[in-house]
Amino acid sequence: MTAVSIRNVSKVFNQGKPNQVDALSNVALEVKQGEFVSLIGPSGCGKSTLLRLVANLLEPTSGEVVVNGKSAAQARLDQDYGMAFQQAGLFDWRTVRKNIELPLELKGWDKSKRSARADEMLQLVQLPEFGDHYPWQLSGGMQQRIAIARALAAHPPLLLMDEPFGALDEMTREYMQGELLRICAATGTTVVFVTHSIPEAVYLSNRVVVMSPRPGRITKVVDVSLGGERSEDTRNRTAFFEAITAVREGLRGMHAAHVGLGNDDR
Amino acid sequence: MNRITTNVGKVLPALVFGVAFLGFWEWAVKFFELKPYFLTAPSSIWEQFTGNFSLIRGAATVSGTNALVGLVAGTVLGVAMSFVLSRFGFLNQLITPLAIALNAIPIFVLVAVLNNMYSITSEIPRRIMVTLVVYFIVLVNVARGLTQVSPTHVELMRSYAASDVAILRKVRIPNAVPFLFTALKIAAPAAVITAFVSEYFGGSQNGLGSRISSNIANSKNAAAWAYVLAACLLGLLFYTVSVVMENLNRKGGVRQ
Repeated sequence: MTAVSIRNVSKVFNQGKPNQVDALSNVALEVKQGEFVSLIGPSGCGKSTLLRLVANLLEPTSGEVVVNGKSAAQARLDQDYGMAFQQAGLFDWRTVRKNIELPLELKGWDKSKRSARADEMLQLVQLPEFGDHYPWQLSGGMQQRIAIARALAAHPPLLLMDEPFGALDEMTREYMQGELLRICAATGTTVVFVTHSIPEAVYLSNRVVVMSPRPGRITKVVDVSLGGERSEDTRNRTAFFEAITAVREGLRGMHAAHVGLGNDDR
Repeated sequence: MNRITTNVGKVLPALVFGVAFLGFWEWAVKFFELKPYFLTAPSSIWEQFTGNFSLIRGAATVSGTNALVGLVAGTVLGVAMSFVLSRFGFLNQLITPLAIALNAIPIFVLVAVLNNMYSITSEIPRRIMVTLVVYFIVLVNVARGLTQVSPTHVELMRSYAASDVAILRKVRIPNAVPFLFTALKIAAPAAVITAFVSEYFGGSQNGLGSRISSNIANSKNAAAWAYVLAACLLGLLFYTVSVVMENLNRKGGVRQ
């Protein structure tokens, strides 16, 4: 079954004005249930815009986005997805537990049900003893794990992530990647993941979608044949490096084309 | 025990400096035989302060009540208006220029005008004046707290399909609370100062501000200084209460 279906979607900002930006042009992508898909590309390629179209935080200028068999707008109203950002975005005035309970409060769950689910989520991200701490008492990696717990608290079938590990150091980052894969395997969640780290995209994904800017479009989709089980050893395998090379070539091909275009202009 | 020792260590330098300063002041007045109308010795100020304590306390109560009434009224109005302004952006553009213009009018002009509107013994003009000063401080800060929320928080709430009311309750208001306490820390001493200054421009001669000016007019310098000491203590009291309130709120877990 299809979790996300993006059908010939274009997005233009400030249409008809001097500062018009063609953020996305004719993008089509299908994400299967349980799949992990990364969007990668240089700044301005529209990867974050594409994620926000799926989240219905933006409306497409043309085309259609279907999430979980419904319109993106309906999927948002039904809380069919959870979202995590580069900044953990936890609320300083709420305890960790209350942060995780926030989406459930908005759904109108009663207190005991919320509390039970918060316990379950704290177990899932392996921070059960930190429920009564405040976010600023936690390290950056821990905060991001709480943000993931919050995004998954309502058990949504889909997780949308916008460079969630972008602000973390390299070691924490690799640890978090392992954690994310473990959590997704445990919950069967479909993930659309925006990043600009090539190894991160390859390590996490079933497919890596390479995008290029001006106008934003998909230039290449790399299938990562690393299988379901991934561990630290995965990072040393030949297939891992082959996929990295394939993604890099995808990005570089467009870079060459872009430089060529620049020369023509002059 | 250890904590008490470190706290003493923190205040000790300030205490020593204060005592040394008063000692030097006392010594300088005696040694240079300074005339009381030029500079009064701390000992004679203290004499006046203790000797006239019930009068001083009465005057401090009048000024302090004016400051407190204005502080409460200004805070309530400022908070209410900041909600209206943050909800209706267009009002902001209508009201902000008016607010700036009103705020630019010197205190004594407004007090003089207000004094004409009410009977000569009324405390209302002074309270209105304090209210106005506090109102602007609270309005500007709380409106900022309500509007300057993290974009990530707003996107997150929208991803939950949260209503504007839910965003207000769960994001904007908690975000504005520390801004309110910052405003109160600025507004509390400002309220006291405004209450004093308002007394200089007519009305009953019953508060600390009018006592200071009448004692100076009668060349009773030591008595004037005793009232200045009371004014200083009243200002400190207001400030301290606002800081304590802020610290109580911080215990709720808001990052400093």
